Amino acid sequence: MANEYEVQKQGIAKFLDYLCLTPLGAIGFLILIIVPLFPPFNQDYLVRWFILAAIMGTGAMAFDFSSGYIAVVNFGFAAFVGLGAYTSAIVANKWGIPLPVTMLCGAFTAGLLGFITGAISLRMRGMFAICLTWFIGIAMMGLAIKMVWLTRGMLGLRTAYFFGTEAPNLYYWYPVLAVALVTWFILKRIARSHIGLAFKAIGQNMDAAKTSGINPTRYRIMNFTVSCALAGWVGAFYAHFIGILTPEFLHTAKTVEFLVIVYIGGRGSLWGGFAVAFPFIWFTEMLRSNFDYLPGINLLVYGLMLIVIMIFYAGGMAQFFRYLVDKWKDNPTVRWLTT
Amino acid sequence: MANAATESTIDKIDQTIEESFVQKAVRWLFSAGGITICLTILVAVVATIHKGPYILVNTFITGGMWALMAIGLALLFSVMNIAGFAHGEYFMAGSLTAYFVMQPISNYTLEHPESFMAYVGPMIAILAGTFMCAFLGILTERLVFKQLRMRNREGWLLNCFLITLGISVIFQNTHQLAFGANFKGILAYWDFPSVPIFGVYMSIDRICAFFIAILTMIGFYIFMMFSTSGKTIRAVSQDEDGARMVGISVDTVHVLTFALSCGLAGLAGASLLFMFPSYPTVGVMPLYNSWFIIILVGFGNVAGSIPGGFMIALFQVLTRSYLGEGWEAVVPVLLISLILIFKPSGIFATKVRTVWDE
Repeated sequence: MANEYEVQKQGIAKFLDYLCLTPLGAIGFLILIIVPLFPPFNQDYLVRWFILAAIMGTGAMAFDFSSGYIAVVNFGFAAFVGLGAYTSAIVANKWGIPLPVTMLCGAFTAGLLGFITGAISLRMRGMFAICLTWFIGIAMMGLAIKMVWLTRGMLGLRTAYFFGTEAPNLYYWYPVLAVALVTWFILKRIARSHIGLAFKAIGQNMDAAKTSGINPTRYRIMNFTVSCALAGWVGAFYAHFIGILTPEFLHTAKTVEFLVIVYIGGRGSLWGGFAVAFPFIWFTEMLRSNFDYLPGINLLVYGLMLIVIMIFYAGGMAQFFRYLVDKWKDNPTVRWLTT
Repeated sequence: MANAATESTIDKIDQTIEESFVQKAVRWLFSAGGITICLTILVAVVATIHKGPYILVNTFITGGMWALMAIGLALLFSVMNIAGFAHGEYFMAGSLTAYFVMQPISNYTLEHPESFMAYVGPMIAILAGTFMCAFLGILTERLVFKQLRMRNREGWLLNCFLITLGISVIFQNTHQLAFGANFKGILAYWDFPSVPIFGVYMSIDRICAFFIAILTMIGFYIFMMFSTSGKTIRAVSQDEDGARMVGISVDTVHVLTFALSCGLAGLAGASLLFMFPSYPTVGVMPLYNSWFIIILVGFGNVAGSIPGGFMIALFQVLTRSYLGEGWEAVVPVLLISLILIFKPSGIFATKVRTVWDE
């Protein structure tokens, strides 16, 4: 893996490398850009699914950054996403600031809460952080229900749309891809730097990392803050896409969705969650709409998938992909596509 | 120098040995656990004088059941190192089973009000809920955790937590698919007039729930302390390899632990059916409560769960009666977060195994 960076790349490959995309990843991304323009994917409701899947996938990337690299599962992840969403919506409603700026506000508050949570909980093992973030998630949802003067409680908070109320969903497709690409870029650049190396060391063996002179608490807080801030950013985009926010969005069940996507995609791969989000969201939406006389069937499938993946194939889709690449590693095209 | 130091150490040890019972009690009173318990009792008395005795009564009834749930959770943790997220779902399964067993029994007693079933029937329902949950626990252990143990022991604590999360989702949605999301409850187990206790009218159900909890705790204590199975469970919780070396079948102990822990949760669910009608997410609140208790008293501390249960129950009754409905989800969470931050090993300073330590 190490000598991957020593290979001198030229031209477009160098640019892609700067973006942290392999040629295969770039092709996949290009396909995503054009896919909603062609039938049968150019129907409005399908584009809506695509956007929701991209939002979930981007959130999953942010989630995976802490669960895959430093082995800290943020169990209140939905609350951080929701905090970003609520902050952005409230700031936009109160002062009418342009929405890209309010999205940054959302990212800032979520990052701040993430920093405080991390500073408290990351001194100790991962289980501690799970409990604390879980409780913070519950408390945040309780606050969102109870602080009616600010969030309108269960009635739901109306938020400003990016493109007015009548705009077709396709308008949102390119911004959401931009959000996903920027998130990927930030996360992957960090993961590639020496800081990312420290993250990986901590995730694999904390004692060994300590022996090598890494201060685990500092790096873990750093990682956690970045993950939460990006979660808030994605949440803020979601708020201005969906148009109404309810406290249900902060529920632990929402965290489970992110978790399932990340684990199916493959922990520690970052791209796995994003790639899996599209078929996964489509599949569960199909289940939900085709079996509407069986409410909750999609959640049942989530749970089953989580257990089966964790017991029988812990590496998820990323491990399968790596297996395929290893199998054909002598083929020069495959090698060019995947490095 | 060295000699003097050793002698002073020996003196200290002698002092600790010779400490009388009163001295021990005083020292305990000034430990974190003692202070908290005394404060809890004080708060309970003050609130009872201020708001009326119903606070104390409510605390005792629900507290006993939360303690049962927390015992199961603590047992699961200390023996198998599983931090259970699905514990509330066994509560739900217990109450559901009790509901379906209770239906024909209550129909029968409506026709024959004088028959002995009016007295014994509810006990059958509660026992059915308990055994159903014990069976479900065994099933879970065999189908899920044994498979995981055979394949992958890396990151066991985290993986198990996430798997119990999946189990919880499956249980909730199976309930919703098979039995619907409506409330499945009964008015009363024992359909007799209430009795006044300290000026509070209490239904027979509540009194029975309290006594069931107390009797179960005593029975559980005797089982763990004096029976061979209880001893093997304690041995495995102390040292799994050592237990295997002296010929204890660790596999059997795991099954037994799961059955016990889930059975206790099912017992709590079945006995509280008259307060919490069964619906898919009924287990969420008990689950939160038992986690609060576990964190309050320290992870894996089975005995401490009993006072912890009453403390958390009191705290929730107080929050509800002074701040109103809805806040009981927020305020305890903040308190527990404070405990996690400042005293992660719990008020009884449990020796925590692999959970929080650096």
